Amino acid sequence: MILGFDTATPDTAVAVADRGEPVFEGSAGPGADGRPAAARELLVMIEEAVAAAGGWNRIATIAVGRGPGSFTGLRIAISTARALSQARGIPVAGVDSTAALAAGLRERDGGRTVVGVIDARRGEVFAAVDRGDGPGEPVVCTPDELGAALGGGLEGALAGGDGAVRFRAEIEASGCVVLDDEDRANRLSARQICLLAANMGPGSAHHPAGVTPKYMRRPDAERWLERIDGS
Amino acid sequence: MNRILAIETSCDDTCAAVLEGPRALSNIVSSQARLHARFGGIVPEVASRRHLELINPVIDAALEDSGGDLESVDAIAVTVKPGLIGALLVGVSTAKAIAAATRKPLIAVDHLQGHVAAAYLEPDPLEPPFLALIASGGHTLLAEVREAGTFAIAGQTLDDAAGEALDKAARLLGLGFPGGPAIQREAAEGDPEAFGMPVAMSRDGGLDFSFSGLKTALAYAVRDLGAEETRERRADLAASFQSAVVGQLVAKLGRALDAGDWDAVALGGGVAANALLRERARDLCDERGVRLKLLPFELCTDNAAMIGSAARFEPPVAHPDYLALDAAAR
Ligand SMILES: [Zn+2]
Repeated sequence: MILGFDTATPDTAVAVADRGEPVFEGSAGPGADGRPAAARELLVMIEEAVAAAGGWNRIATIAVGRGPGSFTGLRIAISTARALSQARGIPVAGVDSTAALAAGLRERDGGRTVVGVIDARRGEVFAAVDRGDGPGEPVVCTPDELGAALGGGLEGALAGGDGAVRFRAEIEASGCVVLDDEDRANRLSARQICLLAANMGPGSAHHPAGVTPKYMRRPDAERWLERIDGS
Repeated sequence: MNRILAIETSCDDTCAAVLEGPRALSNIVSSQARLHARFGGIVPEVASRRHLELINPVIDAALEDSGGDLESVDAIAVTVKPGLIGALLVGVSTAKAIAAATRKPLIAVDHLQGHVAAAYLEPDPLEPPFLALIASGGHTLLAEVREAGTFAIAGQTLDDAAGEALDKAARLLGLGFPGGPAIQREAAEGDPEAFGMPVAMSRDGGLDFSFSGLKTALAYAVRDLGAEETRERRADLAASFQSAVVGQLVAKLGRALDAGDWDAVALGGGVAANALLRERARDLCDERGVRLKLLPFELCTDNAAMIGSAARFEPPVAHPDYLALDAAAR
């Protein structure tokens, strides 16, 4: 069985899948303070998931969303995955969070091109497109650059995710149809993390150090330093 | 609770240690100081990223150096506050996951309790009661330690921490980061009395510290001298500034000794590695007939052995009661 989880978005999502069939699926939104609850909820839900699976001995692979998304969220998920792996000797597989989001959209509406869009803050989004041949590499861009950043051809595509909802007007201007605000497919499902990891096949799960975060952005301080050095 | 694996990631050092009672079997510190030097200070996002890269190998090294493995450990201890929240979360997430996966208890430790508890480590442990002066880049306080595991704050900084003041001074003088060692090196060639720096001493006999006036005085001195003369007189400026920082720390320590009935003092925190502070504190304690516990350098700066030492006096939380444990910046 595969234990999968993701905290790249404001949701804390955890699932266990047994040969593609969900055994457990849970998701927790932000806490009462409006901030992501990953630090408090992730391990609680992982233990529930593992209990539902019948114990750690039943878990063959840990799949973790490696971003792009919230920097702190990525670190909580990846440090948890690596530590569980270190303690239990279970291999870890890294899955793009944008791919998991896109896979959820494809499951909802299989015939179309789908675009998973995660709010990247500062007026930008992380996004990946799936034109029917699997989710592509994530990009980071402003919402009105989305079409160009993904190589065009988004006319009639289905877009979802907290970034698509937040920048609905800009994303729709690129030709996409954006899901209704309340649609469940806007939220990343950890079941998709499990399924994508299962489809990666044997050999894709590694020593824990092999799974690294996809930040897609350097720390501000480095960019400032470069600007000063360059001037 | 015999053997403890301790983890510390509250600032810019990635640390893990294994302890058996008051004895550190291993104490691994992977300092990020060089990484942050080019920014002239600690950048939280850079520190957090580096912690994630280092934490597992550092834990592996600590276990290996201890001659044991995870199985031989009875509990996991981790710093939960205060510190940089993103940095703390790497250590806390890691510690919780290791503890949960092995069904071991977890011990949540306050970083400042750790600096005090460094005095309890072998060799030559110091038992309470004692007065602790903890000075670093993040904190400056006088702690009354009457029993292990707790302390009362007798005085603390009202503005900058002592180490922060040294960092800012080093930046003003173009001496690089971290400031403490840079100022100390430069000051060795200078005259500590060349420039009159204010020693902030409130008249009411209070034990709080203040370093912002000192920093302002240095900024004015630098402005008045101009770039060229500042460069020429950099050693004198560094020596005068260092002397004023140390002077205030030691003066307040003296006041605290006057106010209470103490017969031992412990010096901790990164600034406690400063040679002038060690010398002046030694003189003060000799003069008062008070025992002074000077920690080895590796136990002054942030480390996980001190966290494991503090953990001995905190209640272990049994699985699964710690699963929702969070980190806190303060
Ligand atoms: Zn410290």
